[in-house]
Amino acid sequence: MNSLPADIVLRVDRLRTHFELGSRVAKSVDDVSFDVKRGETVAVVGESGSGKSVTSLSIMRLLSPPGRIVGGQILYRAGDGRVLDVAAVSQKEMRRIRGREIAMIFQEPMTSLNPLYTVGDQIVEMIRLHEPLPKQEARKRARRMLELVEIPAAERRLDEYPHQMSGGMRQRAMIALALSCNPKLLIADEPTTALDVTIQAQILDLLRRLQAEIGMSILFITHNLGVVADIAHEVVVMYAGRVVEQASSQRLFERQKHPYARGLLACIPDASRDRTPSGERLRLNPIPGNVPSVMALPKGCSFAPRCPLRIPRCEEDPPLLVAEPHHLSRCWRHDEL
Amino acid sequence: MTDSDILLRVENLSKHFPTKSGSVKAVDGVTFDVKRGTIVGLVGESGSGKTTVGRCTLRLIEPSGGRLIFDGKDLVSLSDREMRSYRRRMQIVFQDPYSSLNPRMRVEEIIGEAIDTHRLARGSARRERISELLARVGLDPEHGRRYPHEFSGGQRQRIGIARALAVEPEFIVADEPVSALDVSVQAQVLNLIQDLQQSFGLTMLFIAHDLSVVEYLCDEVVVMYLGRVMERGPSRTVYAMPRHPYTQALLSAAPVPNPKAHRQRVILQGDIPSPMNPPTGCVFRTRCPFAIDACAEVIPPLDPVAPGHYAACIRRDDPAVLSQGKRL
Repeated sequence: MNSLPADIVLRVDRLRTHFELGSRVAKSVDDVSFDVKRGETVAVVGESGSGKSVTSLSIMRLLSPPGRIVGGQILYRAGDGRVLDVAAVSQKEMRRIRGREIAMIFQEPMTSLNPLYTVGDQIVEMIRLHEPLPKQEARKRARRMLELVEIPAAERRLDEYPHQMSGGMRQRAMIALALSCNPKLLIADEPTTALDVTIQAQILDLLRRLQAEIGMSILFITHNLGVVADIAHEVVVMYAGRVVEQASSQRLFERQKHPYARGLLACIPDASRDRTPSGERLRLNPIPGNVPSVMALPKGCSFAPRCPLRIPRCEEDPPLLVAEPHHLSRCWRHDEL
Repeated sequence: MTDSDILLRVENLSKHFPTKSGSVKAVDGVTFDVKRGTIVGLVGESGSGKTTVGRCTLRLIEPSGGRLIFDGKDLVSLSDREMRSYRRRMQIVFQDPYSSLNPRMRVEEIIGEAIDTHRLARGSARRERISELLARVGLDPEHGRRYPHEFSGGQRQRIGIARALAVEPEFIVADEPVSALDVSVQAQVLNLIQDLQQSFGLTMLFIAHDLSVVEYLCDEVVVMYLGRVMERGPSRTVYAMPRHPYTQALLSAAPVPNPKAHRQRVILQGDIPSPMNPPTGCVFRTRCPFAIDACAEVIPPLDPVAPGHYAACIRRDDPAVLSQGKRL
């Protein structure tokens, strides 16, 4: 029997998701663990190839072959109090969980919206798939959902097709669809990346407000550290399929305990630091080299080839170490940071 | 400042695209200067017309009206033949390093093509020039034999930059050159852009939506919304004290990974209107927290608010507007 501490909604435990391509194996997610507490937003942040999206697709069991969960558990506390291992439940059980228990929104709203049906019909279908409500009742709930995400003239918008809406509006409609069955956990995979900043600010504000009202937990996948600072309570930093650092947002932005997170924050231009008071530009401090491919990872610490603190010991793979209480780092030299 | 300090003067530039249901004013009366040896940032959200302005300045798109004074000469009046010698002096670097390089050409052919078009070098001098350019942008000269798909995004952007530099331009339009790159690679390319700008004395128009990059890199900034300039001026002044409510909202909405750099949040209501049917008067008034009836009546002129700093807002001196948008 699986069990979870009372305040934890989701526990990803030593998850491994691999893509087997002939004799080669891409270890896209390799021994990833983290918890999501009730009512909390956890951001998983990383660059391309970090495994952040594969982690979220693993939780939803939406991996396309040859992607496969090869190890670990994804423990989820369902609405009825049972603790399920999402990595192991049947497809039938998974269909019940998706949407009703755990919902997902994407960067591109048309990933979840069907262009051939009105927004209203899609929300009604979603509601009735999970709950035996008469059509009229479901439509009323759909309208309330559009109002909840602040779509003006909700009644009229119900009868519109996705193409009749702007990008920001479609993003809202997708959020309304995702939240229509009151999921306990929302997985948001780069939901604001394609949006303009003023619209991004609206959507982040909306997610924050919905979380306060509904009390759902959010797993927020992003590459943007600015967005992380804006929305996350807890931050999981991924690099090449692994968690390299984890801490509360406040702590992480104050003090990084892994050279990768430290390097990332140091290389994002910040005029208050990177220009002198008289306005002269200082050189930025980039991380040398490129993000490695998960098909060809270096031996030992994956970040070592780009790391300014590299020592011979880095050829030995560091485990995720407790650098400080509630602050984890996968670096042998964390205590020097 | 004398006119000879200015390499490019964009004067009342407009670009209208005809459509079935009338014309779209993608760019409407845009004016700004680019001084020699400086980097001017052009920022705005989708539909602002920033990319169209960038392409018009090189006449990759023909402007519908206005003048483009480059080194004292109006480019708009030039014939295609006359324009050709100017093309060598002006180059562009594109956003997407994946689609802007021909996948069937070797890197040395991609760079060599630019050299051949303008007949700048032949034979061994040409080969040397290609190696030199690759080295200059931080690539191994041996990589000239390879094809674009063999490179990472950051390396491809370096190839795009080498191609632009091949003809020894004075002016470069960089259209979102680091937006598609991973954060850890962005800084490498930004350092390269700065090095090259300094060592070749380049003048640049840097088009971007990332406001932190622009604040760091650019000497001046031009803020566009729905085809018009809302505000422009030295980046330090504009970022320290944005005078237009749109600039204020834009800066406050940009998420920064520095908890100390937060501004008073202004969340704009609604979406950017369609450029097919822009609001009358001030195009920003439908989302502006300070809009009054008068804003619908006249197009606000871009008036000076400080030396070199201009804002197009009739309420720009109102204390409510003035106190908004500062850094907290």
